[in-house]
Amino acid sequence: MIGCYDFCGHYEWTFGWFERVGGHQLVLEYWDEAINQDSQRHARDLIRNGGIPGMLKYWGHTLLEESPNLGFHISHREDVFRIDFHDCPSRGFLIRNQLKNFSDYCDHCMGWTGPMMAEAGYVMDHEHDHQGHCWWEMRPASAKGGHAAPGSVAGDKDIRFHPAWPKDPAKLDRYTKANYPDDKMK
Amino acid sequence: MPTPATSDLPYTDTKPVGSPDFYYGINATFRFIIRRLGLDGWRSYLEEMGRGYFAAANQQWSDGGLNAVARYWRAFFAAEPGAVVDVVEQADRVEVHVRECPAIKHLRAGGREIVREYCQHCYFLGAARAEAAGLTMRLSGGSGSCCHTYARPSAGLPPQDMAQIKEARS
Repeated sequence: MIGCYDFCGHYEWTFGWFERVGGHQLVLEYWDEAINQDSQRHARDLIRNGGIPGMLKYWGHTLLEESPNLGFHISHREDVFRIDFHDCPSRGFLIRNQLKNFSDYCDHCMGWTGPMMAEAGYVMDHEHDHQGHCWWEMRPASAKGGHAAPGSVAGDKDIRFHPAWPKDPAKLDRYTKANYPDDKMK
Repeated sequence: MPTPATSDLPYTDTKPVGSPDFYYGINATFRFIIRRLGLDGWRSYLEEMGRGYFAAANQQWSDGGLNAVARYWRAFFAAEPGAVVDVVEQADRVEVHVRECPAIKHLRAGGREIVREYCQHCYFLGAARAEAAGLTMRLSGGSGSCCHTYARPSAGLPPQDMAQIKEARS
């Protein structure tokens, strides 16, 4: 039986399998069709119908279940919803268990939440360091400009103040007002 | 919390049990593969995962024999939320009696359309893993309760009858 206790492990293995069998495009279609439109349809419904309060309801529940040790912080205002991951439970599982079958596991988050946010009328600013640290800001699709200044939304919980956050921008994957993995600005 | 130095599972987490909503992801992954690549593609996926992703566990079984198989399944189901399972060790086989399948239970509770071939995944995956460990595997039942048998080849289990694996009902 495939279990849920090690889901992140076989999920990551699956990305590599899809890439070998059907290439990059099949991985993208998997994240959108299977994860966004099927598995996470409860998230999709909450956010399409509820906007930022829907995001709070979805991530408030699911992150507590996945990360009871609170390796994350949620901030929200009327115009922005933000998550800072100080210890991503998903990436952390792979690092601790030394699992790697796909080029960049972290892309799966943009892979399914990006299309979901597009359908709901939101865009995302995001950076990840591949080491279990990242941040996300979701804003209405009409929002313009670059990334907000560190601390301006999450205060001292902003992961960009964490000592482990890379000083070298080359170590970060970066997205600005994005909805798709291939929007990455490396 | 550090990963335990010794475990009957090859991969461990800091949480004692997994998040059951991940069963939605497993079910959706099966649906996507069957739709795009057909049942043969899905079977290949499971068999390759059985030999690849599970290689470390298969090695534990190969090294530790049936007792390692029994320990694995006890630890595995202890980490699956809502599972009700008895693991019975016999001289030439281990029987895993799944009284309440945690995946089927959660998918039903969540109102999800369960892939009708869902229960076959335990056979295709389990048989590939057993073969890698020098064992054989058979499955009967399904749709919420079933029995997995892992045996030495000398047990002489009859070939798998796929009609013995029930369709999963939502």
